[in-house]
Amino acid sequence: MTRTRPGPVKLRRDLTSKSDSDAVDATLAASGDAHAFERLYRGHIGRIHSLARRMLNDDEADEAAQDVFVRAWEKLGTFRGEAAFGTWLHRLAINLILGRRERRGVLRRRYLESDAVLDTVPGRRSAPETLMDMESAIARLPDGARQIFLLHDVEGYRHEEIAEMLGLATGTSKSQLHRARMALRQQLER
Amino acid sequence: MSDQWTERLSEYLDGDLTESERAALEAHLASCAACAETLAGLRRVLVRARSLEDRPPVRDLWSGIATRIGAGSRQRRFTFSMPQLLAAGIALALLSAGGAWLLHPGSNQVATEAAPLPLARAPIATVAAGAGVRGYDAAVEDLERVLAEGRGRLDTTTVRVLEQNLALIDRAIAQAQRAVAADSANVYLNSHLAETMRRKIDLLRQAAALVSAVS
Amino acid sequence: MLLLLALLQQIDSTVPVQRGQRLEVSAYAGDIAVKAWERDAVRVEAEPDDRTRVEIDRSGSSVTIRTEGRRGAPRMVDLVITAPSWMPLNLSGVNTHVSIRGARGPISVETVQGEVDVEGGDGLVSLQSVQGSVRLHGAKGRLEVHSVNEAVSVSSSSGEVNAETVNGDVTLTRVDATSLTASSVNGDLGYDGTIRNGGRYLFSTHNGDITITVPEGSNATVSVSTFNGEFASEFPVTLTETRKGRRFSFTLGTGSARMTLESFQGSIELVRPGSSRGARNHDAK
Repeated sequence: MTRTRPGPVKLRRDLTSKSDSDAVDATLAASGDAHAFERLYRGHIGRIHSLARRMLNDDEADEAAQDVFVRAWEKLGTFRGEAAFGTWLHRLAINLILGRRERRGVLRRRYLESDAVLDTVPGRRSAPETLMDMESAIARLPDGARQIFLLHDVEGYRHEEIAEMLGLATGTSKSQLHRARMALRQQLER
Repeated sequence: MSDQWTERLSEYLDGDLTESERAALEAHLASCAACAETLAGLRRVLVRARSLEDRPPVRDLWSGIATRIGAGSRQRRFTFSMPQLLAAGIALALLSAGGAWLLHPGSNQVATEAAPLPLARAPIATVAAGAGVRGYDAAVEDLERVLAEGRGRLDTTTVRVLEQNLALIDRAIAQAQRAVAADSANVYLNSHLAETMRRKIDLLRQAAALVSAVS
Repeated sequence: MLLLLALLQQIDSTVPVQRGQRLEVSAYAGDIAVKAWERDAVRVEAEPDDRTRVEIDRSGSSVTIRTEGRRGAPRMVDLVITAPSWMPLNLSGVNTHVSIRGARGPISVETVQGEVDVEGGDGLVSLQSVQGSVRLHGAKGRLEVHSVNEAVSVSSSSGEVNAETVNGDVTLTRVDATSLTASSVNGDLGYDGTIRNGGRYLFSTHNGDITITVPEGSNATVSVSTFNGEFASEFPVTLTETRKGRRFSFTLGTGSARMTLESFQGSIELVRPGSSRGARNHDAK
């Protein structure tokens, strides 16, 4: 039996940017290298989990984040490297999270809530806070306005993209964004 | 406090107003303290939104993921991804007997000829000017297909050994490619990458020949 | 003429052969052991079970020995063959270990799951396994020694040598090569042999060390390349070329031979003959 060379190999991370090392890890992971996929996980879990926490809630975020990475592993074969891996992963996460919400029966009419609802109905449970921080304030937004605010102001998508993702008119996306911002301004500057 | 102007403040912030709308709003803002204050408040919301920090989950989720993807067991059949490496814009060297050519990212041109290698190595692809590495890609794809279709005819330990060695070569290719990416004019790194790619083709050919022989 | 040796429990058959004929052996499972003698005849000894038969076929240019299964793949049967030392040998198997002793002609061996162990060979000697180690000793000519998952070794041989594996070490000892390529992806390379004037020597590995024993009075231009490894020498070398990134070269003696040492991430070492780090002590490491 020959003497083979076990153990991790030295990587020269300092020489390449994150997206370069992501590209290589994605290549390796696509051919079945779970260690490479773990590196991708460690590099991107923060962003993906935070997205899941904000768009869903704390209870579902863990499971949703896991689902995202499992789906990413399955679909790595289709990742062609034309975008950065992080961008591709992020889009996959959004699609998966939005799909979860649809299955929970969040109906489109929520996006057309009136102003009056904003102040009185919290969007989801959140821990009681004496100091209103941004995350809590976002959590108190109603579902529809919260999704649009997250996608536009936190995640950086354009209204056209958001409208397509959520099946709305661009105008609805813009007005809901404005309502969300106004509500947050009120919450944060009480 | 809802006047027609307030409703448009978000669009103004995002640059979605037409020239004339923007001019009109700015004229209004100059004289309306309430709107100016609201605008400032919206700006602060935006700033806080953009500086939200990502934080990872409280408990580590990797083991759950690893279990679900079957990490540790070889469930995935090999999918090679030269197109990904090329898309990442990596300089690539192709060898033919006695000379080395360097292809630089973004060009299909034969760029420079480096010092000839001491021993002739078998050509790994026929490179016509402008053809890039298509010959290599096509060869890999064809051979993978033969192997995928016929691997059931091979002994499972043989398949496992072939897959492990193909993966080993793939890891070497990825490492070489990263090195080239950081030092793209380095002749040794380019030729080593190309040589390692040749090893992969050779092994794929050998595997495909095994499959064909057992039919 | 076809001889079917179907129902015998034990085969021991000898057929005459003529100069110019070659031996072809095609097996599936079981060992092939070839020994040499000076008679112009081929002897086959085997103990097949009743599901397997051994066919011996003599045509104009070759004597072919084949194991065949009655139903499905042939079962394991070991073949012991004695052939003239002059006779070219062409052996192939799948789950087959192959050993050859005393041959003095060309040899070709292909197996998948088995080791190859050859002493002898003259002319084109081509040995190949996928899952087994390959060892060649005492051969001369054009020597091609290949494995995939195990080590390759060549000793006491001469000529043009190409020794390659993917996951294993390549060890060359007492080799007198006019040109040589030793290559692995995940393995060490060791050479302890002559460095001939005008010879060309290429050692290339991705993840492994290279150890070259340099005989006294060698004349070579040595080019060393590594990405993530180190270079060491047991004797002083003067660099003729400044370090350009990670490749540099130097000259020994007149610089006649050309030696290229490349390890992506492993150390490259030149040692003196008799050094404890040399290839002859490889297995003791």
